[in-house]
Amino acid sequence: MKRVGRFLGRLRAFIVRDFQLALSYRIQFLFRTLEILFFVTTLFFISKIFTGGAVTSYTQWTNPLAAWITGLAVLNYFMTGFSSFANAIRQEQAQGTLEGVLMTPVSIPTFIVSSSAYDFAQATVYSSLYLLFGWLFFDVRFQGNFLLAFLFLIITTLVLASVGILSASFAVVFKRGDPFGILLATTSTLFSGVFFPTQLLNEYGGRILGGISRFLPPTYGLDGIRRVLIQGQGFNEVREPLFTLLMFLAVLMPFSFWVFSRAVRRAQREGSLIQY
Amino acid sequence: MTVPIPPPDHDHGDDEARETPAQRVAISIRQLSKTYPVALARLKKFFRRKATNPVEALRDVSFDVREGEIFGLIGRNGAGKTTLTKIIATLVQPTSGAVVVGGFDSVREEMAVRAQLGLATAEERSFYWRLTIEQNLTFFARLYGLADARARTRIAELLARLELEPLAHRRFGELSTGNKQRVAVARAMLSSPRILLLDEPTRSLDPLAAAATRALINSLARDADMPVTVLLTSHNLAEIEELCARVAVISRGQIRALDTPERLRAVHKNAERVRITARGLSTEQARDALPQALGEFELSGDGRALVVQFTRAVDDDKLDSAVRALHDAGGRILACDSERATLLDVLETYEREPQEGVET
Repeated sequence: MKRVGRFLGRLRAFIVRDFQLALSYRIQFLFRTLEILFFVTTLFFISKIFTGGAVTSYTQWTNPLAAWITGLAVLNYFMTGFSSFANAIRQEQAQGTLEGVLMTPVSIPTFIVSSSAYDFAQATVYSSLYLLFGWLFFDVRFQGNFLLAFLFLIITTLVLASVGILSASFAVVFKRGDPFGILLATTSTLFSGVFFPTQLLNEYGGRILGGISRFLPPTYGLDGIRRVLIQGQGFNEVREPLFTLLMFLAVLMPFSFWVFSRAVRRAQREGSLIQY
Repeated sequence: MTVPIPPPDHDHGDDEARETPAQRVAISIRQLSKTYPVALARLKKFFRRKATNPVEALRDVSFDVREGEIFGLIGRNGAGKTTLTKIIATLVQPTSGAVVVGGFDSVREEMAVRAQLGLATAEERSFYWRLTIEQNLTFFARLYGLADARARTRIAELLARLELEPLAHRRFGELSTGNKQRVAVARAMLSSPRILLLDEPTRSLDPLAAAATRALINSLARDADMPVTVLLTSHNLAEIEELCARVAVISRGQIRALDTPERLRAVHKNAERVRITARGLSTEQARDALPQALGEFELSGDGRALVVQFTRAVDDDKLDSAVRALHDAGGRILACDSERATLLDVLETYEREPQEGVET
């Protein structure tokens, strides 16, 4: 209990610090909000091109705007889960503040998780804005069990966070040139069904291209969330993507922690932990 | 250098007075070695790329720092001071050997070690430049686990003590280098640590602020309730001499000597030139009064004051007998200066010497 209290205290310290830092760049929030609003508006007008012509066999895509903004909101969250850990390390290394932080009795895992917390809070706000603007200005209606959608969101984020820990391990040892980031960021938009149904990859790109999406956790996360929020499906209908995500988690989470602990040990041996 | 004239019945120098009594060990370093491995050595070998040699930063370093002691570490750039400090601070792991801080091993119990340590380096970048001093210190206080009320009190206390109160709400990036350094000292003291690692704490300070910081370091070590152990790394040898009970000379990764500053100087230059200025005596009276045991000496005078100069061994009685003789003959001693070896001489000696015997 004491350890939990201590962890929460440190978590709060990092969130307050990042909030204070964000406040020192006040205008950024305003512009990001406007950017989301303009993007959702643009998508609304693009969606009007397809009005009455959307192929009904792709049930999640009968209202493309709903599918897009759900995809973007969720992808934004997933990418935060994936990138924030490595960013936390890289940023503190580059700023030179890692030495100060690591001189306090804070373990490296606590530091990484805590210093990513504000990113998640921010991502929650920005992701919600996609959905809020869609609902408020463009009559996008969501249905289904929001808790179930949230469960998908959490599990997918944890899976991507595991990949993010691998990415952070890379940052700890090699500092730059993270291959996980490049792979996941570039493939997710194309292969995970953010802007179009993944079935189209099979139809137009063949089985090999279509098969790539099956190896990407965001595909299952997005599919599950859209099934719940857009199609209104319940737990029994979304068990398959949910269990697939849990399998990803069971493999990736312990593996990433093992790799990370080795990376930290190596950096401490080389004396490069605080270097950039 | 001016030394106080010892009163006739004073039979010990100020080195014993400054030494702390035998106390518990705060930092124990045993056979510590650190060789920085070559990054990606195996990969470089595989691709037959020319790899640099591993860097041996520390070799077989062993010493203890006692509780409440101010311990100085001197050496040239690249001698191994920073590596040693970082190993004690758990930021770097040793290749072999052990560092025990307050009973905790720096590798196996790093959290416990960090909880007892405060580190202040001259590195300005270890703060958040867009946050104020107060916000920075509050953040670090929370990482140390200080409750909000305690953190507020402690920060206010430190800001007052380091004369940073008027700057509390200024962004760190807007501070002068000297003030940034004082904030670093404040951060190191946030958790009231038992051990302070100070890496050139007065490097960028003006003379008054530097003197205040030295006084602060001194008072921390002399605190009757909870004396703080200080490991001080500095290129300012006068500062080391003023503050430290013991000094270790590190050269090319090895501890070459470890003793009180006075003994280190004495070992390296056993003789010193003494110059006594007195009034109320003629040169003839002084010549008659000075004892035979003084050996060769020079006498000069300008009618108002008389100057006696002679060479003596650092720990012999010549100074004492000369002062007594001049005093007994009716002279008034105005000043007594001596030119003796400094820590710089000590450092230079070890830098010139080959890496063989290690005197500790």
